[in-house]
Amino acid sequence: MLPSSYRRLRSVSALPFLLAAGFAATAPAHAAGTLAGTLIDNVAQASYDGPDGPVTIDSNIVSFKVDELLDVAVISRDPGDVVTNPGATAQLLTYRVTNNGNGTEAFKLIANPTLGNDQFDPELEQIILDTNNNGVYDPGVDTLYTPGSNDPLLAPDEGVTVFILSTIPVSASDTDKGRVALRATAVTGSGDPGRVFAGQGDGGGDAIVGTTRATQSALGTFVIQAASVSLVKSATILDPFGGSEAVPGATITYQLVASVIGNGSIANLRIDDTIPANTSYVAQSTTLDGNPLTDTADSDAGSFSGTAISVALGTVTGPATPTVTFKVIIN
Amino acid sequence: MKSLFACIALLLPQAVLAAQPIELSSQVFVERKVAKPDGKIAVILEAPKTVVPGDDLVFVLKYRNVGSAPANDISVTNPMPKAVIFNGTADGSEMVSVDGGRNWGALSTLKLPMKNGQYRPAEVADVTHVKWKLNQSLSVGSEGNLIFRGKVR
Repeated sequence: MLPSSYRRLRSVSALPFLLAAGFAATAPAHAAGTLAGTLIDNVAQASYDGPDGPVTIDSNIVSFKVDELLDVAVISRDPGDVVTNPGATAQLLTYRVTNNGNGTEAFKLIANPTLGNDQFDPELEQIILDTNNNGVYDPGVDTLYTPGSNDPLLAPDEGVTVFILSTIPVSASDTDKGRVALRATAVTGSGDPGRVFAGQGDGGGDAIVGTTRATQSALGTFVIQAASVSLVKSATILDPFGGSEAVPGATITYQLVASVIGNGSIANLRIDDTIPANTSYVAQSTTLDGNPLTDTADSDAGSFSGTAISVALGTVTGPATPTVTFKVIIN
Repeated sequence: MKSLFACIALLLPQAVLAAQPIELSSQVFVERKVAKPDGKIAVILEAPKTVVPGDDLVFVLKYRNVGSAPANDISVTNPMPKAVIFNGTADGSEMVSVDGGRNWGALSTLKLPMKNGQYRPAEVADVTHVKWKLNQSLSVGSEGNLIFRGKVR
């Protein structure tokens, strides 16, 4: 007869592929790892051949608690620089604060608009918490943040969207940038990685500062894109005799130049001009940047109402000089 | 003295029966890297007083024959605590299970079913038990250590 250990080894070698279906591999439930306060109990067993058959004994139990790791991430949620205008109020920057630790933790928020490497300092109005968690600032629905009063309490892996509302100084000029930093800091404590706050961890253990130092900040940036528009009108006269006298029968060509200055945009820009008294509009004579426009209100920008021409330019981003011409004949 | 022993045996029959010729103890340490004054990094093992996810653990199992006869066919098994990922041994002498102790083998030989009915190779994170078989008899008074590493999930 084979020694029992040999028999057991033989049977073991045949088994590995005969696995029961449906066995689910264990995976950590949280990116941040095992939850703070979880007990790790370790006990081993030894078995051996006793006089009356196999005997199994347990070792002592080693039991210890997983402590709280304090980690936080802050990012800007704006897709790029946020376009604004001098003097504008309630201008919005959006951030996301995420608890990267393994315990439920409150975070203190501080906004700092007085940073270097920019041209103006936005004036802080409010910090708002996205209470309804839809990622969009809903005035009157989302909650005003008051430090120490409603510091967001976040479960492991949980995040909160934070809005900062600012007023843009009137002195800011086109292309200027102004930045605001949002800093989130674990209320339990922060500092060098590895710093221990004994007994202050979620779940009853210690709290230990992680690699993020338990305090992080992110920048949001405003950029001024101002635009102004001015209109210059001029006229050239061609009389029936090849001269430039304003006599009956002479054709007047009016030119209207709209100048959009700055890097901003002007929405719904429209050039209207009334046909002067004692003149008659020359049908189909309107042009935009040299291209003819029809008199009927249709898909092109131009129209003639019977008393005035109108050219709808829509949104014009500066710098640009859209130019309209039309003709009248002196009666 | 004889009567005293008998008395204890009567009072604590379980304890007397449980006195086994093999002793097994379990210890767990946290492995820390500490910068020494000369700038070198020292690895130290300390008691698991503060432990956070990602910490490296060292498990030490000590077995000893405290009986009066050699012990045969000894095996030592350590179920992995749920919050700990098995992280190997120095010599690879262990067998592992990835299905709660039903099947055993070297990790590279084990597979797990996936949802689509296919099998994938088992990973260290799947290990549920680690086990050693001591292929020789343990003589009276002999002892040994089994060491494996883990990482807090």
